[in-house]
Amino acid sequence: MHFSSVPILFAQMTTPDDIVREAARLQRNYEFLSYGLTVAWVILVIYVLMMVSRERKLKREIAHLKAMLADRQKS
Amino acid sequence: MNEKSGWGNNVLYLLGVAAIVILIRDINVIARLPNEAQQGAIFKIIFFHVPVAFVAMTAAAVALVASVLFLITRNFRYDALAVAVTEVGLAFLAANLVTGSIWGHVIWGEWWAWDARLTSALVCWILYAAYLMLRRAVEEPTQRATFAAVWSIFSFIDVPIVIFSIKWWRTQHPQPVFWGGGSFPRDWLVIWLWNILAMMLLGAVMTVVRLRQENDQRELDSLRRTAHAM
Repeated sequence: MHFSSVPILFAQMTTPDDIVREAARLQRNYEFLSYGLTVAWVILVIYVLMMVSRERKLKREIAHLKAMLADRQKS
Repeated sequence: MNEKSGWGNNVLYLLGVAAIVILIRDINVIARLPNEAQQGAIFKIIFFHVPVAFVAMTAAAVALVASVLFLITRNFRYDALAVAVTEVGLAFLAANLVTGSIWGHVIWGEWWAWDARLTSALVCWILYAAYLMLRRAVEEPTQRATFAAVWSIFSFIDVPIVIFSIKWWRTQHPQPVFWGGGSFPRDWLVIWLWNILAMMLLGAVMTVVRLRQENDQRELDSLRRTAHAM
């Protein structure tokens, strides 16, 4: 892998067109990098929210059934 | 809630928060790293694309072990672990596929390539999604756990294919950075390893939370049976 900073890249450009093209490529790269990271996080957050919702539903149903069974035992 | 489970909850939340703090810190550090010379900024997606794959493949391995142990011991705790870890692994594998697709779109000019690595990873996702669907389709708990364990073992056959496909066949997907003869600068490597640790931690916390839900589900099923019997 080779790593370089943006100013060095621009310094190697010969014409203004090259600079414009490289700037557009960089912009596009950052754009898609942000899409990638956002989508990865959104998938994980959606899964966590699904787990939270399932947890609440389970707790509610358990509490309801326990209360119902306690009532039946009393009567 | 007893004292022990309350303490366990605190540790669990603490680990989850620690994982998220590490990841947020890393995003901040990664943003300030220089771009890779040939691919540019998009190369930095490797800091997430590979760690989520690590979690997904580890989850598949844990599911395999838990499924084998269930078939040997018939202990439902192993079945619960298998389903919990499979579900979490599936979410991470989805993140891996999507980040890979976005990376491919920038570098290859296409969202998807039907090469051995991408196809086997997609098949892997479908196999484990089918595992969860199979569980929903079978009502009787012992039969459900047995069928699911056998399916999980069968599904794992695809995991080595996903991992070694880039070595066995010529693929559009590139060779891995380390295993393919490349290297990272030291600071990149450190952040990358921290990200793997954080993702693993996050995956482990999510698995434990999901495992508790399986236990709650079993309690609920037991209460339902008692209610019907009364």
